[in-house]
Amino acid sequence: MPRYELALILKAMQRPGTSAALRRTVETLMERGAVVRDLENLGERLLPYKINKHNQNHLRGSYFLIDFYSAPNILTSLLDHLHRDVDVVRPTVLKKDDQVSSSNCCGS
Amino acid sequence: MFQVIGGRSVQAARVLAPRSAVLVEAVRGRKSRTDPVAKSKVGRIKMPPPVDPVEMVVLKERYGEYQMIMRALRLEFKEEMLRKKYEEDTGSLAEERARQEAQEHRVLMDFNHLENQRMLKLRIVRVQMEKEEADRKKFEVILQREQEQQEIVKEKEKEILKLQEDAKNFITLENLDQRIEGALDNPKNYNFAIDKQGKVIKQTMLQ
Repeated sequence: MPRYELALILKAMQRPGTSAALRRTVETLMERGAVVRDLENLGERLLPYKINKHNQNHLRGSYFLIDFYSAPNILTSLLDHLHRDVDVVRPTVLKKDDQVSSSNCCGS
Repeated sequence: MFQVIGGRSVQAARVLAPRSAVLVEAVRGRKSRTDPVAKSKVGRIKMPPPVDPVEMVVLKERYGEYQMIMRALRLEFKEEMLRKKYEEDTGSLAEERARQEAQEHRVLMDFNHLENQRMLKLRIVRVQMEKEEADRKKFEVILQREQEQQEIVKEKEKEILKLQEDAKNFITLENLDQRIEGALDNPKNYNFAIDKQGKVIKQTMLQ
């Protein structure tokens, strides 16, 4: 079952830049022995508020969702790495719970 | 010399000679038998009370008769009591009674014995039933346990298969580029709106 979910906000860039950043991130994950399950794009949207990171003010960002299975001890170093990445505006790792029975659920 | 008396003999003495306020009796108290006699008592000769001979004779006779009669009566009564007791203990009726009692006792003991036997049989049967019941229950529990175990194993196997299926869609170094391109091409939107009637609206504007 998907153990963690990385909600990644990348800088608003052109396509090659975004894809390079994503590739970098996934490769980092795989280096640390994670198994990446799925990669979703939530689109490029307006950020809820101005975020200042790496000496830059960001108004728009592209949101990505990466599910992966991994050991819990790599998370600290992973987050550390992502904070240092200039293209990443905000990385967030969350634990993913088991799927609830989605019989009468209205979400997608 | 004189000692104050108290207790049960007080009442009798009070009736017989209630002269002084405090009841006293003569007791060899202060002086022992080797002490010299007191000066006031030096020539004292104790004389018994005077007796009238005729009266004495008459009285003696009468008293003798009286006491004889009383003694006889008392002995008679005593004998009667003893005889009654003897009769009760070892008379003919006593034997009858003893025999009856023994028989009754025997009858009751037999009855008791029979009852015990009956109870024993019932108990054996009941204990047997209970034991069988307990065995059956235990067996059932074991069966249930095993079934549960098997269920769990099946569940786990299902999960494993599911995971194996999912594994085919995981991202690897080869898929990476394709997946990234695919993801960038299909942005997903999880937003939706719902109104009070329960109508779901998935069409939203992706900014």
